[in-house]
Amino acid sequence: MALRRKLKAQVLCAFLNFALSPGSEPHNRLAAHLPKEDEHEMEFDTATSVSQSPVKHPLPELEIYCYLLVLIYLIDQKKYSEAKACSSASVARLKNLNRRTVDVLASRLYFYYSLSYELTGDLAEIRGNLLALHRIATLRHDELGQETLLNLLLRNYLHYNLYDQAEKLRSKAPRFEAHSNQQFCRYLFYLGKIRTIQLEYTDAKESLLQAARKAPVAALGFRVQCNKWAIIVRLLLGEIPERTVFMQKGMENALRPYFELTNAVRIGDLELFKSVAEKFSTTFSSDRTHNLIVRLRHNVIRTGLRNISISYSRISLADVAKKLRLDTANPVADAESIVAKAIRDGAIDATIDHANGWMVSKETGDIYSTNEPQIAFNSRIAFCLNMHNDAVRALRFPPNSHKEKESAEKRRERQQQEQELAKHIAEEDDDEF
Amino acid sequence: MDPKLAEVSQLFERFKAACAREDVDTCCNVLSKLKVLLTGFSSLPPLFEDTPNAIHELTLARDIYEHAVLLSVKIGDQDAFERDFFQLKPYYTDASSRLPPSSQEYMILGLNLLRLLVQNRIAEFHTELELLSSTALENPCIKHAVELEQSFMEGAYNRVLSAKQTVPCKTYDYFMDLLAKTVRDEIAGCSEKAYGYLSVSDARQMLLFSSDNELLQYIKEEQPEWEIKTGQVIFQKAKESASCKEIPSLQLINQTLSYARELERIV
Repeated sequence: MALRRKLKAQVLCAFLNFALSPGSEPHNRLAAHLPKEDEHEMEFDTATSVSQSPVKHPLPELEIYCYLLVLIYLIDQKKYSEAKACSSASVARLKNLNRRTVDVLASRLYFYYSLSYELTGDLAEIRGNLLALHRIATLRHDELGQETLLNLLLRNYLHYNLYDQAEKLRSKAPRFEAHSNQQFCRYLFYLGKIRTIQLEYTDAKESLLQAARKAPVAALGFRVQCNKWAIIVRLLLGEIPERTVFMQKGMENALRPYFELTNAVRIGDLELFKSVAEKFSTTFSSDRTHNLIVRLRHNVIRTGLRNISISYSRISLADVAKKLRLDTANPVADAESIVAKAIRDGAIDATIDHANGWMVSKETGDIYSTNEPQIAFNSRIAFCLNMHNDAVRALRFPPNSHKEKESAEKRRERQQQEQELAKHIAEEDDDEF
Repeated sequence: MDPKLAEVSQLFERFKAACAREDVDTCCNVLSKLKVLLTGFSSLPPLFEDTPNAIHELTLARDIYEHAVLLSVKIGDQDAFERDFFQLKPYYTDASSRLPPSSQEYMILGLNLLRLLVQNRIAEFHTELELLSSTALENPCIKHAVELEQSFMEGAYNRVLSAKQTVPCKTYDYFMDLLAKTVRDEIAGCSEKAYGYLSVSDARQMLLFSSDNELLQYIKEEQPEWEIKTGQVIFQKAKESASCKEIPSLQLINQTLSYARELERIV
């Protein structure tokens, strides 16, 4: 990052002149992207370097590195259309190179390629290219490239909300151990998003929380996004995230709308929920979480019902409708069906008396007389014991730490002794003959 | 005009006439012939070549597929609906920039959402919903389907059934009938758990039967556990209260042994 700040036009020109022989094709192409104010300086350099070295054969890695530097410079200067052109040229060049040593640089280049197109809003154009590059990377066993390109493709599909296609790609692409922590975090985040939309909330929660944990501390924006989605998934699962989640350093402002949303869900108040959703609707639409928030309505009603069922032993359905603030045409009948469904799903423990029109909550029996505590304890004990076993297995002792290191003299002494012993044995053999 | 294009247009006119006459067999035959002819055009997906007649061909193909979808609803064939809808989708998504918008687009999208709901494919329902723009979500056909899904999830089944009266177009009726049947099964399931008993007239009303006989037949076929006594439907047989529970000894023994084993391992 420190290098990135120092990237200025003159520095780049000087480096290009040093690395690539001026007048060569790559040099011309790259230099064309840099601003022309330093023309006289460039000419000066050209004159000197031409006199110095006849012909330089630059390593392909050096060339790709130059491409990368110019690309970063252009993006930092916000010259996105030029960055697009430069990145397309670099990708075309990369398709011809088949060297493993270029892989790491190549993956960075793919990333900036996709970034430059995204910043100009043309992501759909490069989808075909990215797919072809992914095929090539798989054929060449370029694992880092495969990882990067898979993430870029997923990002491409998710940008246009094409969750179906993203899932198809992800399930069919070859999987292997992650090489780069950052790419793995990104992959987990995209996976979490896809799972959320497909209503598989438990898997989604796991992926999103793992992504938020593994992400480097400096990646604040990424962690904020992960946390936003993780909060919504937890609300959809029916659990309320703790307050400390919202109070993490640097994320308080961004997570404020979600904090108020959690509050509304926790209280179980439909009116409050609706007002919060409307108040922050722009934030939610820009985060693309709007559809998920709509799904939360069901959870709000459930929580409200649960509160009512715990607090009242018997309550008329009309009062239930009023407390839940159901604003529909026929609230009592609605309330009755909603309560019936909640009972069937096991959310509340009650019965309905249709003739009198009220709901009777069942007494929660003494839970300690059942097997429940034993089962809960057992799962916790098993978890702790598993963790202990895993920790023991993961203990690694540094190799040879219990042997003291031989110093050079001791080694010489030992070798001398061994030689004498060998001579001695040889003499003994001779004696025997 | 291109002779192929002219032939397809003529055949399409015959198809529309057959549909208006409600002549299902002719419709199906003509439709198969049309589909074979459409493969001759290279401007259609998946090739999307830019021929001079491209716009005309694309519009014609889109109309043909829309009519195919509506025909499949009329004959009640859900698989055909799914096939034709998948063929129609690229016209709405990829070719939408080149063609003028179709008047029936939202209705067909709404029909598809309804079909996914009836088949209980909620994950795909939501995936499709993500693809819709915010203007699409304002359209009454689509809004109807979305609100239906919400009521279904919340459990307000009476709202689902009353929505049957407020369908935006007649073609929705087929799916609404299927939905009514699903809803009835759901209501039966919920009532079983929620009510101890219900009078026969109340049960009839809730399950939307028009006469007591239908109700009795339904109970005999679908719900053999329900008993009918003195004009009331009893849902749950009287359970013995506070049955003395056996201690699950085998499970406890297994657990304790595993604790002992693990503890021994700790050095």
